[in-house]
Amino acid sequence: MTMNLQDDFDTLEERLAGTLKPVSPPRDLIQRLRERVRFPAREEIVLRFQDWRKLFLIFGGVMSGLLVLITVARAFFHLARKQM
Amino acid sequence: MAEIDFNEDDILTRASTGDRDAFGRLYEQYVDRIFNYVYYRTGNIHDAEDLTARVFQRAMNHIKNYTDRGVPFSAWLYRIAHNLVANWHRDRSRRQEIPLDELPVLPTKGDHPERNLVRSQEQGALLRLIRRLPPERQTLLILKFVENMSNAEIGEIMGRSEGAVKSLYHRTLLSLRDQLGDQNINLEGE
Repeated sequence: MTMNLQDDFDTLEERLAGTLKPVSPPRDLIQRLRERVRFPAREEIVLRFQDWRKLFLIFGGVMSGLLVLITVARAFFHLARKQM
Repeated sequence: MAEIDFNEDDILTRASTGDRDAFGRLYEQYVDRIFNYVYYRTGNIHDAEDLTARVFQRAMNHIKNYTDRGVPFSAWLYRIAHNLVANWHRDRSRRQEIPLDELPVLPTKGDHPERNLVRSQEQGALLRLIRRLPPERQTLLILKFVENMSNAEIGEIMGRSEGAVKSLYHRTLLSLRDQLGDQNINLEGE
């Protein structure tokens, strides 16, 4: 290592500046991205459904919702039958 | 922060009302920078492409929620990118990690292909060390060197004060210097 901290930092900063340089994304990649941003591809929809934790939550939510609906409907019919 | 040669406020207003052409202008303005950030955080061109697309899709879907509360639009975009990259790393930690220096290196701006080959060989060790740093330190270095941002601008993105960024930068340099020393890598590159 060099003698003092500031020298080390200066050298390290030079090396970092030489290593972490902006890259040029290929033009075709930028074009593909533009199309994907405007029109999400089918594969992304498929990917979303591969997130099992989220899928499980959605499934649980739908089932719970259905259960509530069935219970309300049963209560409604029960009350309606009582009144008749 | 950015070389803004168009009226961003006007374009943001139009984009938030669902004007896709206006959002396209914002996309053109920021896509390179977001791609650069994601590329250095993932070290993978394909994942960088996928995540960059998701950043802009999420931005487009939530642009109505963006209100200028002193945080520039670019900082908002970087925060989306930061969150998506964090999720990507979390998902990936369960799988195999591919180091940056084993992957094809994109040409840096203004460099010749031969220069890039030398660059990838010489700087692989440093990139490997950077990728072992905690995520916030990696973000700091990328924003500082790749995006050429000031501590204040980095603070806006990372939600920290300028002083806190300066302090984190100092600790990051110290840590990198020590790790280079541990691995007997000469700072002078000799």
